[in-house]
Amino acid sequence: MSIEQAESSQMLAAAAAEPAMPPPARSLIRQAYHDTLASVLARIGLAWLFMLAFFAVFAPFLADSHPYVMKVNGRWSSPALIHLTPADVLLLIATATVVVLAIWRRLSFLRSLGLIAAVVVVAAAPVYLLVRPPVNVDYSQYRDDLASGKIQKAIFAPVPYSPRDRLRDQPEARLEKPSRRHWLGTDTNGADVFSLLLHASRIALSIGFIATSISVVIGVLVGAVMGYYVGTVDLLGMRAIEIFEAIPQLFLLITITALIQDRNIYVMMAVIGATSWTGYARFLRAEFFTIRKLDYVQAAVAAGLPTRIILFRHMLANALTPILVSTTFGVASAILYESILSFLGIGLVDEASWGAMLQQARAGGAGFVLWIAIPPGAAIFLTVFAYNLVGEALRDALDPKLRKRD
Amino acid sequence: MLPTLLGVTVVVFFVMAFSPGGVGASLLNAEGGLRPEERRMMQAYYTARYGLDKPRIVQYLNWLNHVSPVGLKAKGEGFPNAWPVGFKAPDLGEAFSTHRKVSSMIAEALPITLLLELLSLPLVYSISIWTGIRGARSRGKFADVSLGFVLIGLYSLPSIWVGVLMIGFLSNVKYLHWFPTNGLHDLMSDSMTFLPTTMHGHFERGWLLDTAWHLCLPVICLSYNSFAFLSRLQRGALLESLNQDYVRTARAKGLSERVVIYRHAFRNSLMPMITVAASILPGLIGGSVVIESIFGIHGMGKLTVDAVFSRDREVLMAVTLIASLLQLFGNLISDLTYAVADPRVSYVD
Repeated sequence: MSIEQAESSQMLAAAAAEPAMPPPARSLIRQAYHDTLASVLARIGLAWLFMLAFFAVFAPFLADSHPYVMKVNGRWSSPALIHLTPADVLLLIATATVVVLAIWRRLSFLRSLGLIAAVVVVAAAPVYLLVRPPVNVDYSQYRDDLASGKIQKAIFAPVPYSPRDRLRDQPEARLEKPSRRHWLGTDTNGADVFSLLLHASRIALSIGFIATSISVVIGVLVGAVMGYYVGTVDLLGMRAIEIFEAIPQLFLLITITALIQDRNIYVMMAVIGATSWTGYARFLRAEFFTIRKLDYVQAAVAAGLPTRIILFRHMLANALTPILVSTTFGVASAILYESILSFLGIGLVDEASWGAMLQQARAGGAGFVLWIAIPPGAAIFLTVFAYNLVGEALRDALDPKLRKRD
Repeated sequence: MLPTLLGVTVVVFFVMAFSPGGVGASLLNAEGGLRPEERRMMQAYYTARYGLDKPRIVQYLNWLNHVSPVGLKAKGEGFPNAWPVGFKAPDLGEAFSTHRKVSSMIAEALPITLLLELLSLPLVYSISIWTGIRGARSRGKFADVSLGFVLIGLYSLPSIWVGVLMIGFLSNVKYLHWFPTNGLHDLMSDSMTFLPTTMHGHFERGWLLDTAWHLCLPVICLSYNSFAFLSRLQRGALLESLNQDYVRTARAKGLSERVVIYRHAFRNSLMPMITVAASILPGLIGGSVVIESIFGIHGMGKLTVDAVFSRDREVLMAVTLIASLLQLFGNLISDLTYAVADPRVSYVD
């Protein structure tokens, strides 16, 4: 049972009690955006999330063992660029699109989302064909070559360690205390904790976003169909929802994830998404119940519009509010679930993850290690906290009951 | 309720059945160092024993028949002795990995988890009722806002982190060695007396106190997440009943604020708190997965995680069945308490 369930049921009751709301001057999303920004806490939360997003996008440039540029035998090269993976490049392209859209500001919110998705899809094929980073990576070659003078000049990232740069043949590099070389120390394998932390933010944010998107899409589809057709469809849908809600989510999640042998990030997203859609379906169904007999819907039916258009263009636009709020909380809980799975040892294999780092701090063979335990937990906490604060502010902004009181 | 339960078993069974690698394969991986013919024999043994070569639907129906108290049975067992169909004792099967009866494993684990839950429930309730009342009384003021902030903070605090830090700081020889690191009892607990005693002049803590000492950290860790939800519910309900006419009447009569709040408003605001009690329980069961594996307590959560690692179909099915049963049972109780607590609610026309 989570906060948003209690809140949203109250909110639904409030929305049902006051059907005649004055039409907002600006679009709902823009209005909510402005009201949300009015809250100081939400602003702090958003600032943290933006910082995290920055870290996530530019992680390979902030923490990388490969130098930005280096001079070998009088020739300059850029190992950092060469070692970018296709996913890195795609992420950079998507970020560039977001920045352009943020400056240009001509498209509506939903259209911008569509455009970003389109850019990513179009760019995916050429990027995956063209970008081929070297398969074998030898991190210590830079240190050796620099020491022997083979690399004449090199510029390194602020944190010159990749998360997988484990100083394998240097047992003394393990469990180093925080120092100027390793800002947050090293873990039991000798990897730099700060670098791990930065790279893990990618996993957390992407799983949060995409898992929630998947569950919203499933929930909206199921909920819309249930709320519109009522009757048998609704009955069957409700039984399905009851079945999914009868299994404690963590149990289901653990069972499914553990049974999948080659887990990758996409599988994790799909599994977390596929187990947390019931809330959205419930909300949307309830909303659709209240609006399906309204005049404008009946008018759309009478005009002979296809059901798809009635459902997703006319009705959905007026029922987005509870979904929007619980999406924010949904991202928070998806991040929590990912970290719990990694913590239990059934998360991603050989990827930097906050949950896995915590696990290492507990049972990494060295007992409790302070500098491994504090940072990843704090990162999870702050991120989840930020999402919850933003969600709270958003809910207050969208709650008609609260708005009237002002 | 029964169809839902059936649906749960279908979902879990087929998730497991369609998982790549299947159930049997991992068993063989666990038994490393086998020669090929031994391997084949093991495989044949498991396949025959659990019917893994049959179609999945047959496997499922087979499992269902074993679990259900009514169904096909051997002659000479169960209720109508001579019939092949009738009542029988439900059989949860035998664990793949430990070769023990699943029912006895669950009989060991379930009371421990329920104990954790039943201990944390009063803690959660007393604290969130208190904070809820505080929040409602000072609505919109600093105390209310800051309480709300702190509660969202607690709600966002990941229990994996809190658990690790608690063990790391509060039960670590390097820092504060106040609490035991793991388990539910001391190694010597079997030879302890039940109640604390003073033997030969020095204090013996006894079995009861020892268990309580071991339970402190896990119960706190399991509880603090639920404060935000319940406290908010209490606050909303109290605010609602403070707006009612009878509260105005009570104030107009000149009753003290204390009496107005605790005797008039608070009692009527308890409704939603009572009804969510049963649905809080399953959430705590989910949370116990994490808590139990951090604190090394052998309850349902630990059983699940262990079963997941050994891909033990029988244990996993049984655990999910029990967890879902508890959840549905909780929903039922919450419906019933709803009717008992509020005489206006009636399930009979």
